[in-house]
Amino acid sequence: MRIAAPAISVKGRRGTTGYRKVLRVIKPYLYLLPIITFGIAFVYYPFFKTFLYSFSIVNFKGQITGFAGLDNFIYMFGYKNFSTALKNSLILTAMTVSSTVIITLGTALLANKKRKLSGIYETMFTMPMAVSMSAISMIFKVMLNPTVGYVNYFLGINLGWFEDKKTAIYGILMLCVWMGLGFDYLLFLSALRGIPDELIEASTLDGAGFFKKLFRIQFPLITPTLLYVVCTDMVLAMMTAGPVMIITQGGPAQSTTTLIYLMYTAGYRSSNYSLASCISIITFALTFGLTLLAFIFERRGVHYA
Amino acid sequence: MMRRRIRNSLSNSMVAIIAMVIGFIIIFPILFGILGAFKSSAEFSAYPPTLIPKSFTYLENFKEAIAKMPILRYMFNSLVVAGLGTVVRLAFAILAAFVFVFYDFKGKNFFFFLILGTMMLPADTLIVTNYLTVSRLGLIDTHLGMAITSFVGATQMFMLRQNFKTQPKEFREAAAMDGCGDLRFLTSILLPIARPVVMTLFVQSFVTLWNAYLWPLLVTNKNNMRTVQVGITFLTTIEDTNYHLVLAGVTLILIPSFILFVILRRNIVKGMTAGALVG
Repeated sequence: MRIAAPAISVKGRRGTTGYRKVLRVIKPYLYLLPIITFGIAFVYYPFFKTFLYSFSIVNFKGQITGFAGLDNFIYMFGYKNFSTALKNSLILTAMTVSSTVIITLGTALLANKKRKLSGIYETMFTMPMAVSMSAISMIFKVMLNPTVGYVNYFLGINLGWFEDKKTAIYGILMLCVWMGLGFDYLLFLSALRGIPDELIEASTLDGAGFFKKLFRIQFPLITPTLLYVVCTDMVLAMMTAGPVMIITQGGPAQSTTTLIYLMYTAGYRSSNYSLASCISIITFALTFGLTLLAFIFERRGVHYA
Repeated sequence: MMRRRIRNSLSNSMVAIIAMVIGFIIIFPILFGILGAFKSSAEFSAYPPTLIPKSFTYLENFKEAIAKMPILRYMFNSLVVAGLGTVVRLAFAILAAFVFVFYDFKGKNFFFFLILGTMMLPADTLIVTNYLTVSRLGLIDTHLGMAITSFVGATQMFMLRQNFKTQPKEFREAAAMDGCGDLRFLTSILLPIARPVVMTLFVQSFVTLWNAYLWPLLVTNKNNMRTVQVGITFLTTIEDTNYHLVLAGVTLILIPSFILFVILRRNIVKGMTAGALVG
């Protein structure tokens, strides 16, 4: 991949006045100005400000009134809700990513070969993509309700789901997994269908069974997609806040408080901007670290065809 | 030989049935939501709970939901916010992609990676400080305030650049010879050629912004400025859990999403898988 494309300069054939010359030089910068301006104003500036806030004493208006050193971080690590949120986020991330990957690999393998009815079930597998987060959160809230919901009755169980501090996180987990089903399935399916037929046929002739083909040929060849799915799902899961806001408000007893939700309550509800910034920085660092970890694994296990 | 063929077709049917069952489990929440919207309040709290409503002509829930929330106003807000965000984002991305392909200038790589770098910083970790910025700009409760943080589309810029790079350079040279300016070249030559990818990016961007929840919630206080995604979550309160109304509201907002999904499924899928390859 070449970074610099062969560019043709628009040589001024007619006017070579100073004005035109200046214009020609500044034109590319002019075109870049809008995206760069907004990128700085709404991505880089808030990031550096968050960084700055995390080391400062900040008043409720968002003004910095002094330098705090590491006090904010020390306060945060001593804050009970923070350790709960950190634990919740990490558990939620680990379980969401692993469950989503396993389920969508399964659905992609099922749909890989065209069969009767495949048009119908392929559409069903992608359906979660058509539903927005807030709509499905409301549906799950009703569906998992212990009295009017259908799930308890259908499965013959009696769980409190979002009303019980032991099970609430699993409700959120199911929701997070469900939301990723459509997209990840499509990615795996296109990766599986991208494997050359000759490879599969040759291995069949060699007498390889289903599982041998799966683990020796199909899995190794889709590892780049697997890496991508794991990374994006990890980032998404670490950012979980919407379902928590809509369904449980972090409860019961903080059992569903996630990092971003805690950041939102600290910054937006209590105007504790330095605490919110510390949480933001930690979440960012964790997400970045997890992605990095995935890439370290990539060097060991990912095969590029 | 015959037996083997029969066994194959049997196992194929088995797999198809398993796939149908799993597919049904996956779409169960959607079915539950839509079917529930047709149940009366009494039917909803009956035990044992039923899945299929008694009649599909019971539309009281929809009427009540529409009376309780200004759903058309919500849809209008969502449309404006998603439309504005998508149009501006694509315009900025097109300009930047054009410059990166057709110009040589100092700091080209620096600016390129400056824009791509925005993908590294998840927007959700920045909402608190962005909220302060937007409120200082006086944009709380405005459509612009809801859309403004989505104007930078690094992914879109990157994909457009990849596409523009494949266009023959002679077009640009010929156009320049004829004295065709940059903007005219962009609008009358380059964009018509790149239309498929622009359309894909438009649809994908629009759907993402239409579904956004957290940011539109933060920057709106007034009820009539809420987007659909935020609005439906206010149908239920702790004192008043009218689930049948909630499901009717959800079903109503699912309609435009489903229409978009069915019509534009190919585009969405293409855009998402293509976006994935950027990673």
